[in-house]
Amino acid sequence: MIDAGLMLLDRQLIDADGMLAGKVDDLELTFPEGGGPPVVTAILAGPGALAGRLGGRLGHLVEVVAARLRHPEETPGRISFGLVKRIDSAVRLSAQRAELDTDRVESLVRDYVIRRIPGGDHAPE
Amino acid sequence: MKKLLEVALGILTAVGGFVDIGDLVAATATGARFGLALAWVLVLGVIGIVIYAEMAGRVATVSHRPVFDLVRERLGARVALANLFASFFVTLLTLAAEIGGVALAVELLTGINYLLWVPPAALLVWLVLWRMRFQVMENLFGLAGLTLLVVVVAVWHAHPDWSALLHGATHPAVPMGEGRPTYFYFAIALLGSAMTPYEVFFFSSGAVEEGWSTTDLIVNRMNVYLGFPLGGALALAVMVAATLFLQPRGIDPTHLSQVALPVVLVLGKVGLAFTIFAFFAATFGAALETGLSCGYTIAQYFGWQWGKYVKPAQAARFHLVMLVSVVTGALLILTTIDPIKLTEYMLVLSAAALPLTYFPILVVANDPDYMGSKVNSRISNAIGSVLLVILVVIMLAAPPLMIITKAGQ
Amino acid sequence: MRKPLLPVVPALLLLIAVVLAGCTGPVRSFGVYESKAARTAKEEASAVENARLVVQAATGHKAFGRYLSQVLTETGDEASSIQSTFDAIQPPDGRSDQLQAELDDLLDAAATTIAALRTAARRGDFGAMPRLAAPLAGVSRKLDEFARAHQ
Repeated sequence: MIDAGLMLLDRQLIDADGMLAGKVDDLELTFPEGGGPPVVTAILAGPGALAGRLGGRLGHLVEVVAARLRHPEETPGRISFGLVKRIDSAVRLSAQRAELDTDRVESLVRDYVIRRIPGGDHAPE
Repeated sequence: MKKLLEVALGILTAVGGFVDIGDLVAATATGARFGLALAWVLVLGVIGIVIYAEMAGRVATVSHRPVFDLVRERLGARVALANLFASFFVTLLTLAAEIGGVALAVELLTGINYLLWVPPAALLVWLVLWRMRFQVMENLFGLAGLTLLVVVVAVWHAHPDWSALLHGATHPAVPMGEGRPTYFYFAIALLGSAMTPYEVFFFSSGAVEEGWSTTDLIVNRMNVYLGFPLGGALALAVMVAATLFLQPRGIDPTHLSQVALPVVLVLGKVGLAFTIFAFFAATFGAALETGLSCGYTIAQYFGWQWGKYVKPAQAARFHLVMLVSVVTGALLILTTIDPIKLTEYMLVLSAAALPLTYFPILVVANDPDYMGSKVNSRISNAIGSVLLVILVVIMLAAPPLMIITKAGQ
Repeated sequence: MRKPLLPVVPALLLLIAVVLAGCTGPVRSFGVYESKAARTAKEEASAVENARLVVQAATGHKAFGRYLSQVLTETGDEASSIQSTFDAIQPPDGRSDQLQAELDDLLDAAATTIAALRTAARRGDFGAMPRLAAPLAGVSRKLDEFARAHQ
């Protein structure tokens, strides 16, 4: 189980449309009620999740920057493990990017910055 | 013509790697102070970047993931973060210098102070990054960068003593008036700039932008074997021109205008026009390469959607990083810091980034999980490992040499 | 935690190197002053030779006026920067005073000639440039001799 966890960490997440949706920054492990080894219940993605794994001064720095960027009550982005469709060289999800918890910052930047600049919605020529 | 355009990616990458603003002045200064005694470093640099760019390109071609993307996966978040930190900082500073270089090229043409050209140059660079299709960009600026061949023409027309030049190149010796530490400092600077990290990140990401797949492995090789030696040849031509015209007079160049002098003396006004255009094209191309690399490295570390193959709205944070990078670069140059001095002082940082950049590439390119049967050959591994040792030596030697020689004075 | 420290160490060294490179502290001995003077002479010789080369290009009608004035402006700026850096160093003794006077004569000669060339280039008066540049040959030679004598 631990081996599988290590294999999952830092892998690319790809959504149902083939778009890139972040990396597996951390895993949420839950101990089942009946006892036994912990089970992966969710993938955590986002600077908050990564900071925990980096540890030390560097992790603290990332945490500080991430805290500035998100609402103080929000927790790191969580993707239920049930959304994982397949794991090959990347972790493929059955949901679209927009439906994911982790799309918050991307959609913020999209709506408040990119869409405001002319040409943001058009394919390059 | 179509065949030529297929190697445009390699040519554009090489232009940014061998004849950007820092390299143009450095190659001229090297030729002026050491003649061809450091030509062998260029050869070594070409070999190094060819080996590693081929690896980085092959990784992207086979796995459809650029090599920096896989560094975090294979070597962990911490190592990749150190890699990111070092290479992003260097790439950002280089971007700033290139924007300055574009402004300097326009100053040469118009006589109007380069600082006034910095905002329009930055805006134009950003516009291309924002709107121009990747293939159009690489074809346009790859070919435009080739106008630097005017230096080769000038050297040819100068009818130099070829045997004397060849002798100088094959019998490296520190000239009178220069010290050994300075010689090795220049050697490190030349090799470091031939193998700057953003070259491999750009080439690898470019391979994905181009949509190369396993049937395109030959295209990858063609790009690498044609593009980078061509880049090295252009840098060598600049070095030879300086050896012929500046070294005999003891002229040590510090400005872009002096890089053009040899061509001016041989080819006159026509040569000058081509040269100024070539300076513009090369620095602009390098600005695009470094700008994109700023976006690629950050986006690929965090797993964000990146690339010019999707709409900007679909890769919002990637484009935001590039926008902020270009603006930061422009502001930095507007502080009137000399763009050329900036590239010189970055040497220690670039040197530190080198082993951190190339070791992961060597590891990833040997991993059968990503590469299948297309893992490195024994030759690639052998040469790659030797180079890695050299890069570690450079990383260790750069700080003391920089202090001893006071950055090459 | 060693790996994240890796970029910090070179950054610190970079800072030190930059600071050291700019250092022009007070000079206490003739020997040190002499070598600084020799270095100044060598740098100035480079600027002078650059100006002479530009004049060569001008008389051969090999370049646009704008380019020629640009290069000469840059050369002039470099020459004055070299001179002001040198003059800012306080000569530590009488022998150094003599050295400063000798070198300053050459630096002045170079500066005025380059300035005259720059004015001529701006006016498009390329024909006058060889005559104006004539003293530079002697200045260049003397700077070379000075540098070699005081290495």
